Amino acid sequence: MKPSSLIICRCEEVTIEQLEQAYQTGSCTSRQLKMKTRASMGACQGRVCRQLVEAWVHGQNPDSPRDAELLSYRPPIRPITFGQLAKGEA
Amino acid sequence: MERIQDHPILGRKPQREPVSFTFNGKPMTGYPGEPIAAALLAAGIRTLRKQEESGNPRGLYCAIGHCMECRLSVQGKGIVRSCLTPIEEGMNVFEGQQLANEITGRKLP
Amino acid sequence: MKPKRQLSDLIIVGAGPAGLSAATIAADYGLSVTVIDEFPEPGGRMLGQFHEERGHWWVGKQIADELIEKNRAQGVSIRCGVSVYGMLKVDDMWEVSTSHGAMLAPRVLLATGAAEIPMPTNGWTLPGVMSIGAAQVMTNVHYVKPGKRGLIIGVNVLAMAIARELSVSGVSLAGIVLPPAGPFAGKAALPKENLQLLMGLSHLAPSPFLRLGGKIAKKLGMAGIVSSLFPRGGIKLWDIPLKLRTTAVSINGTDRVESVTLADVNGQGEIITGSEREEAVDFVALAGGLYPLAELASVAGCPFIYTPELGGHLPLHSERMQTPVQGLYVAGNITGVESALVAMAQGRLAAASICSDAGVFGHEGDSKVADAVDEVHRVRASALIQFHPGIPEARRQIYRMWQETFEAGV
Repeated sequence: MKPSSLIICRCEEVTIEQLEQAYQTGSCTSRQLKMKTRASMGACQGRVCRQLVEAWVHGQNPDSPRDAELLSYRPPIRPITFGQLAKGEA
Repeated sequence: MERIQDHPILGRKPQREPVSFTFNGKPMTGYPGEPIAAALLAAGIRTLRKQEESGNPRGLYCAIGHCMECRLSVQGKGIVRSCLTPIEEGMNVFEGQQLANEITGRKLP
Repeated sequence: MKPKRQLSDLIIVGAGPAGLSAATIAADYGLSVTVIDEFPEPGGRMLGQFHEERGHWWVGKQIADELIEKNRAQGVSIRCGVSVYGMLKVDDMWEVSTSHGAMLAPRVLLATGAAEIPMPTNGWTLPGVMSIGAAQVMTNVHYVKPGKRGLIIGVNVLAMAIARELSVSGVSLAGIVLPPAGPFAGKAALPKENLQLLMGLSHLAPSPFLRLGGKIAKKLGMAGIVSSLFPRGGIKLWDIPLKLRTTAVSINGTDRVESVTLADVNGQGEIITGSEREEAVDFVALAGGLYPLAELASVAGCPFIYTPELGGHLPLHSERMQTPVQGLYVAGNITGVESALVAMAQGRLAAASICSDAGVFGHEGDSKVADAVDEVHRVRASALIQFHPGIPEARRQIYRMWQETFEAGV
């Protein structure tokens, strides 16, 4: 198995190769890569892979600041049912 | 997998009466209050879900509710994280399945 | 139906060492406190932690039980199995959105701890591959062994501590090996870096790494740590082979873990051709380290700073555990990855700070908080498990930055 076929985002099965391709076509920040490849967009909302994606992006340009366009966190940050959301109650 | 009865440092759990539940229709037992994922692991079941697109098998990964990999269906509750959801008597649990996809034209039986 | 609303003086998110310690102090000073946690039982990661120190066992579960008992006696409401999915400031109240309804309080303490950084390896989506924390929880909290025989990939403080716990609990381990070289492992894939890390640990932390460092030193000599001298077959730590010249190439199996392909590496972390072989295991634990779990701080509008010594991006906070957001406090691993004892001291400090800001202490607030700050320093200096040697200096920088930004008398 080539290293490039290594999966980074388990939820959406996004590989390093896909990150590389997206980066080549101009997706240069974590956020842009997320939009392009769906890495960090799956069920865990990046809780597992956002560190990897951010480290990978930083690795492409080690002189860049670590906090350039980080992925945001938006509620709901935990899975809830529509019922819980609507009623504010279980 | 093997259960630890008498933990060398932490000792025994309080005496518990087993409960019955089903997984994909198959009868199983576990202990009340323990997460579904723990009861299934104790029964040697590793695959909890199929990735919805690829169908690749997935099992328990983080065990504390962060990764969502262990989500499966519980009758009457919908999709739950099996690492956080305590087992209850009579629960019917089903593995998460690969889904049909209108865009790719993938149809599942 | 009107949503159920619960009013407390203080809502604490996270029933681990920091949250429970804060709750008991705050309740002691007369605040009404609600602690919320997503896990079915309180205690956080302490529930599965234990280590040997100076000849006796430090058992996290016992500490947790004592704290829970204290909290219950003081009337603290501990709500487990409740997920917090957001929070919003409405006038002077925080509205904390949970799976069991909205809860209101003027002050919120986030003690959400840390989450694991993965160590991606080919085949890591196979059932049977789990984070090392998952192996700890299954074994020590749920009493179910993660498998018949396993391998740990990644060498760090967390990996060593949990490897020891698993071994004591009777889980069979084929060894601890280096992660595959690549963009994520970085220096973690280099034998020399790992050896230096372990030596550094043994120097800083008298136990349990003293024994470990001592063993390595005996084999290699303290002077001139040369990784190429590290025995190819590894050395045994407790009962676990630590293999600093072996890397995991891939995890194999059709629908579950059946084996791991291992290979020897040279000092640069490059695979030595022809050294590949298969090790039969039925589970793999990946150890990539920890990062502060701070989603809620971000949702609440708290700014972040990047501090690699403390695990990455963390909410900006003062030495008194305040954030720049009014009424929002942090304690424990959300402020940086350190041991449970430090988290507990931070929890007590946050409680003192919250009570002081609530006017509970009158004129004595500052001195109470100062005492609690000193205690955090003391505990940190004597903590046996040090996650990073640069922590005290990194913390000084954060607090200096806070002072310059918020206390400079603008």
